[in-house]
Order: sequence, then C-alpha cells, then structure tokens
Amino acid sequence: MAGEKLNLDILQKDVAYSGEGISVKSLEENIHEERSVQNVKVEELKGLRERNVEIQKSLAEEVGKLRKFGDYIDGTATKGGFWAGMKEMLSHLPGLKNIAISQRSIEELLKQQYQISATRVKEAAEYVDTLKQSEQDLYTEIDRINEKIVEMATNESVAADHVLELKALIDRIDAEMQTIEAGSVDARELEGQQDKARAQLAMHSANLQLYSSAEDRYASLKNNTRKLVQTIRNLGQDIGQYTTAASIKLDMASAQIQAIGTAADASVVMLELKKSLDVMTESMNATTQFVSETQVFFRKNLDDLLNDLDTFDETTTKVLDDNIEFSKQIEEERIEKAIAKALKNRAQRGDTPAPTEGD
Amino acid sequence: MALVALHTQHLLEPVSSTYLGMLGRAIRAARLNKTFPERRQLDGTLRALGAQAHHGLYDGVYLDSRSGLPNMASFTRPLADRGVGERALDGYEDQAALDAKRDEAEVFARMAAKRRYFELLQTLTLAPVDEHRVLLRRHEPESSRASFRVELTKLDGSGAYLRVVIDLTQTASVWSHKLVDLDTKGEVASGTEALRGMVYRFASYDAETLFIRLHELEGVHVERVQRGILGPMRFSIPHEGEHVTVLESRTDATEGAWSAACQTQGDSPLMMASFATDVAALDVREEKSNDPLAPLLSDGIRDVERARYVTLRERYPFRVYKDRKFVVTPSLVDGVRQACVAVGCKNLVYPLRG
Repeated sequence: MAGEKLNLDILQKDVAYSGEGISVKSLEENIHEERSVQNVKVEELKGLRERNVEIQKSLAEEVGKLRKFGDYIDGTATKGGFWAGMKEMLSHLPGLKNIAISQRSIEELLKQQYQISATRVKEAAEYVDTLKQSEQDLYTEIDRINEKIVEMATNESVAADHVLELKALIDRIDAEMQTIEAGSVDARELEGQQDKARAQLAMHSANLQLYSSAEDRYASLKNNTRKLVQTIRNLGQDIGQYTTAASIKLDMASAQIQAIGTAADASVVMLELKKSLDVMTESMNATTQFVSETQVFFRKNLDDLLNDLDTFDETTTKVLDDNIEFSKQIEEERIEKAIAKALKNRAQRGDTPAPTEGD
Repeated sequence: MALVALHTQHLLEPVSSTYLGMLGRAIRAARLNKTFPERRQLDGTLRALGAQAHHGLYDGVYLDSRSGLPNMASFTRPLADRGVGERALDGYEDQAALDAKRDEAEVFARMAAKRRYFELLQTLTLAPVDEHRVLLRRHEPESSRASFRVELTKLDGSGAYLRVVIDLTQTASVWSHKLVDLDTKGEVASGTEALRGMVYRFASYDAETLFIRLHELEGVHVERVQRGILGPMRFSIPHEGEHVTVLESRTDATEGAWSAACQTQGDSPLMMASFATDVAALDVREEKSNDPLAPLLSDGIRDVERARYVTLRERYPFRVYKDRKFVVTPSLVDGVRQACVAVGCKNLVYPLRG
C-alpha cells in the first residue's frame, strides 16, 4: 500500500493554539479593542490640555487683579501715592463709582480672592489623582498586552513547528512518488495525502503569519502605551509638585491675608498689605507657572505622541492591508514565506535544521 | 506645639478630631438662636473637617490661635472641596470599583476615600466664610418707605465667627444714597455695595458703633443692630504627655477658673466655649453689659471724649445690652459661674456632656 513507509499521523494531529482562533478579521478587531483603551487615555490628555488653557487664563486674571491691588496700595500705580492709588482702585470696583457713603471692604475682596485661589489650586491638584489613576490603568493594560504578546509568540512557535513538519511530509511524499508508477492506485493515494498536507500547510502557514504579525503589533501597542504612561507620570509629578507648594502657601497665608484685609479696612499698615498680597501672588504664580510649563510639556510631548500614534495607525493599517493582499496571492508564495520564517525561528532557537527540499 | 504662621496653629490628628467633637457638642449645647451664625452650617463644616469625613485625606485642621476656632483656611477647605468634588465625581469610578482596587495602588485608596468625602460634602450644609442677605420686612409704597433686615455672617479678622443682624427703615426721598435696592415689583431686596461694605467693615465693632454710623445717614432709621459672636474658645487636650491648648488666648475674667481647672485636669480634655450677644436697639430696657469679657463702649470712653459721646447718644434713643453664655466641661461650671459673679455678671453656664 502507498505511504506505508511514511508516517501520516501528522495529518491527524490536533494542533493546540492557545486562546481563540485567529483570522485577519479577528486580529483587526482585537487590535482595535486594545487601541481603544489607549485612545481613551489620549482623549483624556487632550481634554486636560484644554482644561489647562482655561486654568491658565483664569489664574492669569486673578494674579493680574492681585498685582493691581498691590500696585495701587503700594502707590506705584498712580503719581499721587497710596491714597490716590486706593481711591482709583476703589473707583474701578463695580457699584462704588458715585457712592459717597462707603466703599467695598478690602478684607472681603481679599477673602473672596483667597477662596477662588484655593479652589483653583484644588482643581489642579484633583488632576494629579486623575493622572495617577490613568497611569495605573495603563500599567494594567501593559500587563494585558504582555500576556497577549506571550500568547501570540507561543502560537507562532506552534504554527512554525507544524508548518515544517507538514513541509517535510510533502517532500517525503514527493520522494515516495518518484519510486512508484505515475497514475497507479498508490500514486493516486499518495497524491490525495499530499493534497491534505498542502491544505493543512496553507492553513497553518497563514496562522504563522498572523500570529507573527499580531505579536509585532501588540509589541508596538505596548511601546506606545509605555510612552503614554511616561507622559502622564511626568505631568502628574509636575502638577503635584506645584500644587502642593501653592496649597501650603495658601494655608500659611490665610491669617495674614485676613489680618491685612482688616488693617486695610482700617486704613493702616499699608506696606504690610503689599507684603501680604505678594505672598498670595507668589502662591498663585507658582500655580500659574506649573500651568505654563505643562502647556510647554503638552506641546512638546503630546503632539509628538499623537503623531507617533498616527504613524502607528498607518503602520497597523498597512500591515492589515498587506495581510489581506497577501491572502490573495498564490498559495505557494505564502507557504514559502511561512516556511522560511519557521526555519529562521527554529535556527534562532538553536534547534536542528529542518529538512529542506532535496534533503 | 508652636504657631505655624501668623495667629495660626495646626492641630494634628487625633487631637484634631477630639477638638472638633468637643466644639460641635459645645455649639449644640449652647442653644444658639438666630442672633448667631447658623448652627446647622457650623455642624456641617465641623463634620467635614473631621477625619471620619475625609478619611485621612488631611492631617488635621488650622485654628486661629486667638479665638480657638477653625481659621479661614479651614473654613475654606470643605467649601472648595465641595465645589471641586461636585465636578470631579462624574469622572470617578463607582465606590465598589474603587474599594476593590484600593490595595492595587495608593492612588486608588485615596480616590476611594475622596469619593466618600466628596459625596458626603454634597449632602452637608457648610458654614460660609462670609454671607450677606437682605430681607424685605415691610413695603409701604404710598409713603415711599420700606423696612429691611440686613444679615451678615462673617469670619472676622479677630478669628471670631459672628453674625450681624440689622433692622432698618429707608425712606425713598433720599434714595440717591440708598442702601437697599428693591426690584421693580417691590418684593425682592438687595443691599447696595455701599451698605455691604459698611456693614462688613463695622461688623467687628460694637453694635452701638454700627447703629450710630447707619443712623447718621439721611433717610435711614435704624431700629436694631444685634451681633452674635462665637468665641473665644479655650481647650486643653492631653496628648502624648502634653496638653494641646489655644496658643494666643487672651487673659480675661475667667482666667483664674481656667487655670485652676487645668491644674487638676488629669487625662480628660477641657473646653470653655463662649457665645456673646451685643444688641443696640430702641426696645432695650436697660443699658448694661452682662458680658464678663466685654464692657460697654461707654465704659472705655476717655473723659475728654465723654461730652461728645453723651451728645451723640442723646441724639439716638437706643440702649445697649451685652451678654455672654458659656458651655464648659463639668469641672469648670462652678469656677466660671463664680468668675462671672465676681465681675458683677450673672451668666448662663451650660455643662458640656459626652
């Protein structure tokens, strides 16, 4: 009987890939799913960038107001010294212009400003935890991607081994067929077995390519996720540093601001008022500074990162397109590529070289 | 323990929670009426400042080292957190998800605590640092007269938390300098910036001073000015072999009673909370200060000023009455009562329980 010397068990072998089966479509869907996590984080960063602009604007306005108070009280804003400055400053306040009875309390104004400043600093600090949470989420994501990479690499190895076994079988069937009469029953039986082997080779060589491609793309995804983590971590550390400093200064300055407000209302201790405003301005400046610096940070890093991600998108799409195109090409070419890859893998693992055609 | 900034001391946990608990009980025991800042708001703020509310997000509270009350930074903290929390909560995972992850990273444990804290804040009514209100009492369009109640709650520069309530009538003929605006229907009143500024700045002074200042304005008839003041508070809380106290408390008529109680204190915390009222009104029968910590303004007038002061007072037919009640730990009740009697006052002294 034909093939008696051949071991055809390999055709009955149950090849165990881990995870769900793979196809071009399922790979595309899985990568898309993994990317969506990254996209959410990038969107969060974009939102943060916009929020930063708002915070910077409002902080700048508040610092401007404080500086103006300071300059007027200092007497540097007008030629007439303190009293002229105070009068002019009060004249700018809504509702006071033509009222002879009284003026609005400086203490009250300063306290309102203090509350706004405290809220702004807390808003900024709130982002630190949001960023830290995002950072942790992405570490979890990296763990998940790593598991995928290991799974894809293992499956690639399984596919490569099986492709080589099938190729060897096809070659041996070719050799066997040389020894028997063409068109005989035995030859027809051998041809049938070879067709089965070729069909399996086609399927597993496609798997080999897909698992290899998946491994590479998950690795790219991981690299970009790492970049995101780094961006978020650096940003969180910067904001945390500034807001902690600003918060401590505000806590320490509250009694001084209130005392100086009271003193200003009693029209005394004007230089102290200036000094107090400087303390508050300094605190606000620290917050403004962090916003400015994070703006630069965003401009430098986020845009680059987004560009990288866009490039990554293009690369991913191209790989997927190639795969689709590739599947349309002739079977033999794909098989040759798969075999070459499997041989290379085996050689890298230091295994015995697989038998090649003509061995 | 030392001051950390001007008139500022930092009370750390667990002393902070002991202090907040005692202060909250003292305020409840004082049975404050509407002359004083609203008790419910104070309860809310004191609760929000405690570790049971913020779950360790803060290490304590800042106090005014003269009044023994939370200072502006502390009053501002829950107010700012409530606003920030309201906006932040939408972005938080639910409580169960955050609790489940609390051991994964420090940030999740903090966010789990913050979620609870922010949600609690949304349910609390908090004490404002400052709050103005103007209420219309009576409107007589035919005589162009309107009566108002002006209310100001203020965390004062002295560290005290107080409320000023003014009843006044304004006549329309001089509304070029009007203090209160009415809406077009004559139903809703709002104070002008001028009134707001004046009341705000005079809130720290005696009710008598504000009464005269407002009454001097043409077309304004003042019926009553009353102030309700929380503080000063004294406490002594044993902690790790020391007693944590108010660092810049002023010496006053109760000093002896306080010192004596401190000497025999042992391991139990002490508190002496006081709540003062100061009324200048047309319907006060007798001019008197029953406040052992605050004499009448007239008692401090120098001889050279007296004639002018008497002339001024004769122009306005009001009288002044000052009073103060105390809430103290039981061991202080007798001592404080005797100290009040010693300076000619007879005050309510409630024991602080719990």
